[in-house]
Amino acid sequence: MNICSAIVHARPEVASVVQAHLEAFEGVEVHGGADAGKLIVTLEGQGDDALADTMAKFNEVTGVINTVMIYHYCGEEPADKEVMK
Amino acid sequence: MKLTRRDFVKNNAAAAAAVAAGVTLPAIQVAHAATGDGVDADGIRWDKVACRFCGTGCSVLVGTKGGKMVASQGDPDAPVNKGLNCIKGYFLPKILYGSDRLTQPLLRKKGGQFAKDGKFEPVSWDEAFDVMAEKWKVALKKDMEKNAGQPVDKMISSVGMFGSGQWTVWEGYAASKLMKAGFRSNNLDPNARHCMASAVGAFIRAFGIDEPMGCYDDLEHADAFVLWGANMAEMHPILWSRLTDTRLTRADCEVHVLSTYEHRCFELADNGMVFHPQSDLAIANYIANYIIQNKAYNEEFIGKHVNFTKTPTDIGYGLRPEHPLEKAAKNAAKGKLSKISFEEYAASVAPYTVEKASELSGVPAKNLERLAKLYADPNKKVSSFWTMGMNQHTRGVWMNGLVYNIHLLMGKISEPGNSPFSLTGQPSACGTAREVGTFCHRLPADLVVANPAHRKFSEQIWKLPEETLNGKVGYHAVLMHRMLKDSKLNTFWVMCNNNMQAAANLNEESYPGWRNPANFITVSDPYPTVSAMAADLILPTAMWAEKEGAYGNAERRTQFWRQQVKAPGDSRSDLWQLMEFAKRFQMEEVWPAELLDKVPEYKGKTLFDVLYANGQVDKFPLQEVKDSQGNVYDNDEMAHFGFYPQKGLFEEYRMFNSADNIIKKGHEMAPFDDYHKARGIRWPVVNGKETLWRFREGYDPHVAKGEGVKFYGKPDGRANIITAPFEPAAESPDKEFDLWLCTGRVLEHWHSGSMTRRVPELHRAVPDAVVFMHKNDAKKRRLRDGQMAKLQSRRGELLARVETRGRNRPPEGLVFIPWFDASRLVNKLTLDATDPLSKETDYKKCAVKIIKV
Repeated sequence: MNICSAIVHARPEVASVVQAHLEAFEGVEVHGGADAGKLIVTLEGQGDDALADTMAKFNEVTGVINTVMIYHYCGEEPADKEVMK
Repeated sequence: MKLTRRDFVKNNAAAAAAVAAGVTLPAIQVAHAATGDGVDADGIRWDKVACRFCGTGCSVLVGTKGGKMVASQGDPDAPVNKGLNCIKGYFLPKILYGSDRLTQPLLRKKGGQFAKDGKFEPVSWDEAFDVMAEKWKVALKKDMEKNAGQPVDKMISSVGMFGSGQWTVWEGYAASKLMKAGFRSNNLDPNARHCMASAVGAFIRAFGIDEPMGCYDDLEHADAFVLWGANMAEMHPILWSRLTDTRLTRADCEVHVLSTYEHRCFELADNGMVFHPQSDLAIANYIANYIIQNKAYNEEFIGKHVNFTKTPTDIGYGLRPEHPLEKAAKNAAKGKLSKISFEEYAASVAPYTVEKASELSGVPAKNLERLAKLYADPNKKVSSFWTMGMNQHTRGVWMNGLVYNIHLLMGKISEPGNSPFSLTGQPSACGTAREVGTFCHRLPADLVVANPAHRKFSEQIWKLPEETLNGKVGYHAVLMHRMLKDSKLNTFWVMCNNNMQAAANLNEESYPGWRNPANFITVSDPYPTVSAMAADLILPTAMWAEKEGAYGNAERRTQFWRQQVKAPGDSRSDLWQLMEFAKRFQMEEVWPAELLDKVPEYKGKTLFDVLYANGQVDKFPLQEVKDSQGNVYDNDEMAHFGFYPQKGLFEEYRMFNSADNIIKKGHEMAPFDDYHKARGIRWPVVNGKETLWRFREGYDPHVAKGEGVKFYGKPDGRANIITAPFEPAAESPDKEFDLWLCTGRVLEHWHSGSMTRRVPELHRAVPDAVVFMHKNDAKKRRLRDGQMAKLQSRRGELLARVETRGRNRPPEGLVFIPWFDASRLVNKLTLDATDPLSKETDYKKCAVKIIKV
């Protein structure tokens, strides 16, 4: 399992457009933050490579000013294991 | 409700991001959030560690489980990064686990013996140090014979070490002590010579004390930002994020960006300016001239706090003395300042009209005027930032000074938001390389080897007899490679850097020097870098959080961390290596009899006994290292040596900057234990309080009530405005070599890539070195995007893939290559021209041609 989160900085007036572009990437979810121009994004990737490639591409999306990483987890256990019911 | 591991981790990840961004996410269930200390519900132990990569000095929380790092998070309690992290920091845990990590010493051998032309074979630490010490002893014996009867300021040395701005504070300090006090050699220089030496030179000349007066809080206080040769968006992303926040949330905030090519910072720029290489000298002088012509300068400030001076001109390019450019220079390497009047200063910048600056730089006059007006507006708080664009410059010391001139003329300095700020490239270029005396002319805490009073003071702290320390400035980084080639430097230890790849002019100086049969080269590194492979002996190193450490960042913040995990195999920290190596030398083998006669009690002892078992470094006994939650951490060096060496070394170092009888005030630090509890503390630390802005009353404890501003690094409390003209680069494009070559970095890689290149993700994003060039330049050479092209300079050639649409967009006439790729060594092309004052190489300007292959 390989999951990370990031804040993607965009000018507020174009943040919703940027959000749509980001959501088109595989494994990417945007959880909110468009109003403030700070999109809260998580990425999940099977292999490490795909995930990093995706993040590197964020900065190429028109309207993105900056991407900062926040959290990264890289464990060997299966992602679908239930931890709570 | 059902929750999988995926949901659980994803929620944590999103929650942490939302907290850091100050955004509310109602849909997210927070199962837990990482805290600074302790073990979370997931069985992960979290602890703070300073990031291993750039000079920003972010704090990262690292999560360890089962003896392995499995998670990381930007530290929400860190004042520097406030929970944010950049892509490099994010992959930090992985740099420990590269598949080609070195785990045992490797020595070149043939027929069971060391051989310069042998192949690397695994050896024990004992064999490695036996062979290495034998070589060092031969060199030391020869030096002792040559130095017999010589005064200390005439002593030569053929042993040397090349250290690092990535060393921890105590590793740099232990190395400085080993070389300067032990081996009596000043042939110690850090790789910070390549990145920060010009900044240091300018600080000392203008203010008499190193490092910025301001701090990162300026990012929230400034009305405007000017970038002079810094691509902060890629090189300091966290600071860029703070700057972006200010730009987007403060009315009338503006960003000016100066560079020799367009890069990602231009996206936020209100005034983006692409200038011809070297013409920054003319632009800065034009701004000063504008301020004077418009009488905008702060008359009271310059009357009370500034001296006007000039520096010798036509000073050459720091090449070998026989080079035609050096022979032609009237004042090669001269830098002694002489006082001038304000009127003389005004006359010296008067030729730099907007027309002249525009002509030399290629920047339209209206852009230059907008920039000049900003600096000249007394109501605008301006922060200037720069890094390698200004430092890696054959007039780097001058150029740093020209920016200080502007701030000093306006009095826009040493207060929130008004801040000329030299950013650093490495995590401890300040804390280690600059502060503990790892430069060939320096001793700890801004003291210098050439000053007899400074040597005497250092000898007292180090319990050395008088006249132990060598008073002759040693070989600097560039000179080291030249002296290796010339067989004058014979044993060379390279630690915590990749200088075979990083140093300029690889073909003509670096490689012939290292492979010279007269020399024995040792490289300590966690990975088989280009440098390691060019050495005779490779020592495997425990890195970053595999040891207890401390770094000092660009805003004078000293940060500590605890050892998080064990190093693999037989790898050992640089600290262990330095101290263990000292055990191999009897005092009689390193000091002459007449020196030992002054301290008979040192006879028969080892260098280790004298340097590290001296009652100071070994003062603190074995103890448990614990966090506030009671978690216990390893300290492998303490377990090995039987005392707490990190604490002992730091407390001895503190005698240089915090004892009652210190020579230069202003570097005071807190006791060792305080740093383990804090998210870094900015020096000077006086009465337990850190200092945010120096030299101004109310902020700096060294400025008394009623003094207002005092540049106390100078005897008269005044800073120097230093006039210096435009002078051309060492090598400019001509008919044959018709393009400027500028080298640098991209976000995903840091330094020479010796760590980041290990991480497959980072490697994937930018797989091969590319040459960024203008589409018209490509077209003229019948090159298309993605094609391989051959780059040639007068010194070498390499192949790279053409990129005309990437994130770096050079103007016509200039190409840019990142220098992280070990298979495309850009330093085969570069010229080893240096700033003659700082000895820092200009990696930003040489001439090349590009042909289709």
